[in-house]
Amino acid sequence: MAKLVSLSDSDLSASSEESVSSRIHRSLRLAEQEKRKNEAEKPFVLALKYFSEVEVGTPVVGNDEFENHLAQVEKVAFSKGLSPEAVSVMLEFAMSLRMGSSPCARVLKCLIPDSVVPQEAVFRAVVWLSVGKIPISTQVLFIKWVLTVFDMIDAKDKLRAIYGFIFSFITDENLVCDSNAFKLLGKAGRQPYLLHLLSLYKVFCPELVTLSIPSRMRSGFKNHISPWKSALMALQKRGSLQVASSISLNFTLKNKTGSRKRRHRHLELPELSRVTNTGVNTEQTSSRKLVPLVQIQSFEQLLKNMHQIELPAQMGSLLGSRLALQYLDCVQDESALLRLNFWLGYALHEEFLFCTDGGAGQNAEEALQFLNKLLSAQQFLQEGFHSSDAFLYKFLNIWDGSLLRPQILGLLSNIPVIPSSRECQNEKLSCGLIECLNNMLLKWLTWHSVYALEDDLDISLHSHTSINITLSGFKDSVMDLVCFVGRLASVGLQLEGCHSLLLSFVLDFYETVCDTFLKFGLPLVVMPPPGVFYPAMFATDPVSLDRLAYIMNRYKMNLTSAKSQEKVTSHAFHISRQTYQEFNNYLAFMVNCLWNSSMRCPETDIQLSEELLAKSGVPQPWMRFDLIHHPAFMMYAVEFHQKCWPGRKDMDLNSIKQAKPWSWYLEFLFTQGFGGLKDFFQNNISRPGQELDSAQSKKQPLVS
Amino acid sequence: MDRSQISVGRATLGSAVRSRRKSRSQRQSMRSVFGVASRLGLTPALTTQRLNTSRKPYKSQTITEKINPEHLALLVKRQWKLSYVTPLYQFRHTQMTTYARRLSAFIAAEKQKGLAVEVGELQDTFKVCFSVLQGMSEAKDDPEAILIQVKSRPMFAKQDEPQKTVWSGWLACVDGNPEYLNSLPTDFTCLPLFGSNGAEGLSSLVKSWFQINFDCCFGPLDIGETSLEWLAALWTNCNGKSNIQSLKMHWTIPAVHALHVEYTVSADDAWALWCSIRGRSLEESNGTEEEGCIDIEEVKSFMQGLMGHFYRHFRLDLSTGNLNQISTALGSATLNDRIKVSTSIYLISTLRLLTELALLRLPI
Repeated sequence: MAKLVSLSDSDLSASSEESVSSRIHRSLRLAEQEKRKNEAEKPFVLALKYFSEVEVGTPVVGNDEFENHLAQVEKVAFSKGLSPEAVSVMLEFAMSLRMGSSPCARVLKCLIPDSVVPQEAVFRAVVWLSVGKIPISTQVLFIKWVLTVFDMIDAKDKLRAIYGFIFSFITDENLVCDSNAFKLLGKAGRQPYLLHLLSLYKVFCPELVTLSIPSRMRSGFKNHISPWKSALMALQKRGSLQVASSISLNFTLKNKTGSRKRRHRHLELPELSRVTNTGVNTEQTSSRKLVPLVQIQSFEQLLKNMHQIELPAQMGSLLGSRLALQYLDCVQDESALLRLNFWLGYALHEEFLFCTDGGAGQNAEEALQFLNKLLSAQQFLQEGFHSSDAFLYKFLNIWDGSLLRPQILGLLSNIPVIPSSRECQNEKLSCGLIECLNNMLLKWLTWHSVYALEDDLDISLHSHTSINITLSGFKDSVMDLVCFVGRLASVGLQLEGCHSLLLSFVLDFYETVCDTFLKFGLPLVVMPPPGVFYPAMFATDPVSLDRLAYIMNRYKMNLTSAKSQEKVTSHAFHISRQTYQEFNNYLAFMVNCLWNSSMRCPETDIQLSEELLAKSGVPQPWMRFDLIHHPAFMMYAVEFHQKCWPGRKDMDLNSIKQAKPWSWYLEFLFTQGFGGLKDFFQNNISRPGQELDSAQSKKQPLVS
Repeated sequence: MDRSQISVGRATLGSAVRSRRKSRSQRQSMRSVFGVASRLGLTPALTTQRLNTSRKPYKSQTITEKINPEHLALLVKRQWKLSYVTPLYQFRHTQMTTYARRLSAFIAAEKQKGLAVEVGELQDTFKVCFSVLQGMSEAKDDPEAILIQVKSRPMFAKQDEPQKTVWSGWLACVDGNPEYLNSLPTDFTCLPLFGSNGAEGLSSLVKSWFQINFDCCFGPLDIGETSLEWLAALWTNCNGKSNIQSLKMHWTIPAVHALHVEYTVSADDAWALWCSIRGRSLEESNGTEEEGCIDIEEVKSFMQGLMGHFYRHFRLDLSTGNLNQISTALGSATLNDRIKVSTSIYLISTLRLLTELALLRLPI
């Protein structure tokens, strides 16, 4: 109040002349309202003060002060409900019997909470229950009150500890609990509400309630209780059953109110609870005593009860408890794991795949915690859950690469080995992969060629795109990609035994690579690794070899063009000596092999020793890969031989090497559609006039 | 369970059901000898499941003979909100009465929260019935469907007034993928399709009761555009036997102000278009001879035809928008999770499509 007034004072002094009067009126009016409100509550505050401070032994009879204050509290209680603090004060007053037991019941009847009931207050009241000499009827009233407001008690951790204690007071109702069955003793036992309680209990544990209970019971618990209930309902209707009013001075609510209802609940772990569905296997339970996992508190207990643990009703709850995970690590129960996987898969799918309203974004924090919990569980078990793998395979298709990256990558690292099947699946996968990378390279290069051209001699590419990338940065990226695919292809070809389908996809890729400069204007030339070159060179199908020849020819054109540009313009790119060297080696090898029937290839990493070749037992091994004897062309050589010398009985393929037949043979090959080879030889066999002198003709390597 | 047996079951539905591992020794052997223990007999490619691209058209069935007519009356002409359900653990078709009692006690207890002791009246107000929907299945592997009804007496009703059904729901599996169903261990019951009709509050109570008791999960089952198109085609295909009256479609075109298009085609026109796509004359198709399967291509070209017709008249390309709703005299379905089947004759076929959808939604 004082604060408010002083505020409006300062307001007044600070504001400008014109609006002063209206402002004064307004603030005065507000202050007046506030004052009136406070005055209305003042007697109530005084009353509470009275009840918290009244001395022990103060008489009740003829005590007008007491009467007025209590009336005040009752008025507030039935109109607005009592704040948690007020409930504490009044409960303490009543149960402590400071003014004897006569006002006790009356006070209890008006304990209508407006929001929550502090656990502390109930706890203290129970303590008073055992200390004071409270009449039985009042004790019962208190218990009933506790039951009525039970769900409004703000916390129950301490209360739980004294349940047994509370129940001991209920013996007054003649309810005796024996170990195996409830029995009703005495006449009071036939009271309808007890019967009803038992009938409810019988639904859940039929084996414990032997009593036969009439199936239709109308009256049930019909209000023995509630003076409170109707009052609570009335408050609820008026909507005043809300957070504390102005007198809750120092009581803070334990975020019990507000909207606890969330839209996505699938990320919540279920509670670790017992199976209630025991009806099916009652025999099992009786023959072997099972210990619910909920009751296991320590590792020691876990070990002791390992053989008789009962899994919880919902397996998802295991994820939240270390001990439960320990057990899961040992459990052999397939159904249990399956249940867990169903739940986990469901939660992941709903959260990340099916949520159309951006659920993952909405409760990112929750998702983060969930995944972290999952990760730590997987780490603990040292392997991934099947359902999380299945989820990842789908999720990766839509993942943007940044959402919860560390968690998703963490999950990915737990994907188990997938045993490779010996069918064609793997080749298809490798082919698909290479094709995909080839497409990626093509897109990169096209992007480059479009923007680089517009930018007039590609210095920087940033003006047309949000990605600020320099030419050298781009070149590095392309280089990385090409080298990566080169390694991948080498390994792939090796694993798949140089499968010709895969080889074809790899050659597709190098058809893109060899033309980066001429076709896409990117000053970069990267040669294929030996793991790609040699398999293509020794491929058994002529198509692969023809394509290799085409690729080598394109390389040559790119390199010569780059070289000529280097000479003309000063700022042209520089191709490393090593690239030229690689190219020359490959070229020399190809020409030597196919043309010169020699396998000499100087300066390469791969050298075959003569002894090793001799061991193979193949006569004249250096001749095995010339155009006539190469496994890819042998068929053509034979066909040519037959056409050339139809009358000959003994076939001597070497006779094709003679000058005339050799040129005819080449013509023959070129008419079979080997355009790549044709270009290759026309461009690389330097002296066409001396072609016939095959043994001598040798390609001049490019000067580097 | 025998490992090899499980992995056989896995073949197509790939992912379904597999134990995380068997034993420590096996795990170690797996680590040392790469890939020997094939606990994942699937490749990622296999996990991407698709809706069938071809289905059998309506076959005249005497569904009224299979299903109790009372039950049938409950199922048709109501709008159902659909969910998918993961397999139920330890569900027994023999325990219906126990489940009914438990569920009504559960509902009573949940309604009671915050009111401490006043049980008597409430338990009286909600009575639950569980029954087996005999006959609502197709293949021999399908578990029998379950019908759940919650009955209540209206607030101010007289004592002797009968209770009314305030909520009903069912769990079904019609012609579920047999390989998937067989791959589940025996203590699981796969009823992947759940339909509910009634107060949301009761739906969520029933769902949470199932979750607690059978360790399963419920998620909304969106029907999706492709399935709506399928339904449009399948329903139209029935016109030969049962007049569909009209084919109504509801489209939303994304624009600055979203445009809603109600497009109604008379039964005859839709039928003529469909017949031309099926490549046969009207007279021919009225016959009863065995029909071939319907392909997704036919469904797509049917929709193309409808959209093309609309374009010619209104210059508006519906394919830029979303199909939200389909309805005919046989039933109606919305893009999200509502469906209504108006005549019993096509109930099973519709449920078959929905079961397939629900199975696709299952996480493993």
